[in-house]
Amino acid sequence: MMPATGEAAGRQDGWWQRKRTRDLALIACFLLPSLTVFFLYRVLPLGWNVLLSVQYWSPLKPARWAGLDHYEEMLLYDDVFWQSLTNTLIFIGAAPFAIALALGIALLVNSDLKGAAVYRSILFLSYPLMTVAVGIIWRWMYDERGGIINFALRESGLITKPIPFLQSFDWALPSVIVAEVWQVLGFYMIIILTGLQSIPQHLYEAASIDGAPRRAQFWRITLPMLKPSLFLCAVVGILNSFTSFDLVYIMTNGGPGHATELLITYIYKSGFGQTKFDYAAALTVVQFILLLALTYLANRAAGGNAGSLEHR
Amino acid sequence: MTTMRRRGTYLRHAALVGVSAIMLVPFYWVLKTAVTNENIYAYPPRLLPERPHLFNFVDVWYFIPFPRYLLNSVIVSAIVVACNIAFNAMAGYALTKNFPGKRAVLLLFLSCMLIPFQATIIPAYLITSKLGLLNSYVGLAFPLLSTIVCIFVFKAAFEAVPHSLVDAARIDGLSEWRIIVRVLMPLSKAAIATNVVLAFIWSWNAFLWPLIITREPTMQTLPLGLARFLSYLEDTTGALYAFAVMVLAPSIFVFLMAQREFIRGLTSGATKG
Repeated sequence: MMPATGEAAGRQDGWWQRKRTRDLALIACFLLPSLTVFFLYRVLPLGWNVLLSVQYWSPLKPARWAGLDHYEEMLLYDDVFWQSLTNTLIFIGAAPFAIALALGIALLVNSDLKGAAVYRSILFLSYPLMTVAVGIIWRWMYDERGGIINFALRESGLITKPIPFLQSFDWALPSVIVAEVWQVLGFYMIIILTGLQSIPQHLYEAASIDGAPRRAQFWRITLPMLKPSLFLCAVVGILNSFTSFDLVYIMTNGGPGHATELLITYIYKSGFGQTKFDYAAALTVVQFILLLALTYLANRAAGGNAGSLEHR
Repeated sequence: MTTMRRRGTYLRHAALVGVSAIMLVPFYWVLKTAVTNENIYAYPPRLLPERPHLFNFVDVWYFIPFPRYLLNSVIVSAIVVACNIAFNAMAGYALTKNFPGKRAVLLLFLSCMLIPFQATIIPAYLITSKLGLLNSYVGLAFPLLSTIVCIFVFKAAFEAVPHSLVDAARIDGLSEWRIIVRVLMPLSKAAIATNVVLAFIWSWNAFLWPLIITREPTMQTLPLGLARFLSYLEDTTGALYAFAVMVLAPSIFVFLMAQREFIRGLTSGATKG
């Protein structure tokens, strides 16, 4: 793998004794385990996935070339696909609101308030939780009879009849999104807090001397300086449409009907429920392209240089 | 002026107390349900538990294979955490050096960050099946054994160690392995804490992957057990919620123990990696 053989062989020590060669071999050894994991479970699956999506294939039959048949079926004849695509987009569309909320909270926590650390811990506490358990808790909170949400709404006189949140075509998706936001809000907050703390204080001092009001300071200094953090939040929000499989599976399993079906739950059902691996692979390709396109758009919106986040 | 500032402080506290209270409601509700045995579907629900007790927890331990799920989860999480620290530290150290092909490796890592594991489940299942690792601990752990974010966290931590220290160790004749273990790791506690917390949380909470590759009940981990319990016994008791509390407790504990290092480590990696 390393281009460090050849000409050194004639040297008196032999090429293996040379320090540089040994250093390179060592570096290769150090990188090997991680590279193996990422090759087997990121790179190779991605390629295989694309290949599967243009084949007719099932575990018991040899592969046959299918061209774009699966895509044609999906785009032209599969209503469930369109429904789950729409739901996924709504799911992602809720992220900006959650991020704005997290920004507000982060601004409150960031000040020299007494007890800020306690608030921070409480708000972050939902993030490390097992999503399956979170789904079970929220199912129970949304319950028609014993659930606290219907109880609170009825007691406060907002509704007279209990709402079957997770069984209703109108309410199921927003209900799942609320649970999802509850879990991820603290994570957004932490990302934004780090961004806030890396803004140099002298910018605000200079602005104050110039007599800029607080509001102008927010729009002219805080928000632009936060762009990389907000971009990171947006990426997390986009990725969560993939990772929210657990929550949807537990809370509604895509129902009622397909009202809360996301692409990822539909992929799971097609692949492992109906053993249509080839079709599920085509669905995956569509979701992956969606992910890349949205990340690209978010990057553009953040000023196009948000990739520098990883390099700084 | 001061009274106005004081009022501002009070308003902030009020807002934060409100938000925190809302965030804590689900915790309270599951705890309350886990310690009651009354008819939990009665309306109106009681806000306080009546005659709280812990029998639901005992039930969970004895009447479902909870110990077995726990054992499986602990083994998988232990493999994942141990390998993550070793593999990520090694890769992070390699990336602090210059070598031909470094740009390609960096590019590969950064682009892998954009491939969520969930987007690869179908071929990943087929690969694991070809390797003969379905229904095994190694198969359960394999995709999680290394994490790109954590590699960069380690890289940042190692780069923050003064060069003179590493050079001194090298002059003393320490091998590269020893330099990592004896010099760099002890100085990178925040990075290690970040790694432990993230690897533990991810493996402990993982659901989709175990759902796909375990067929036998004896290999199931806690999230699968919980989901299975949900479909069997939902309407019977508060035991389901006791189960939920029991799986949540370890991750909350780990997080609270390590949160300061965790947040520090995460931020150093995310912004200066």
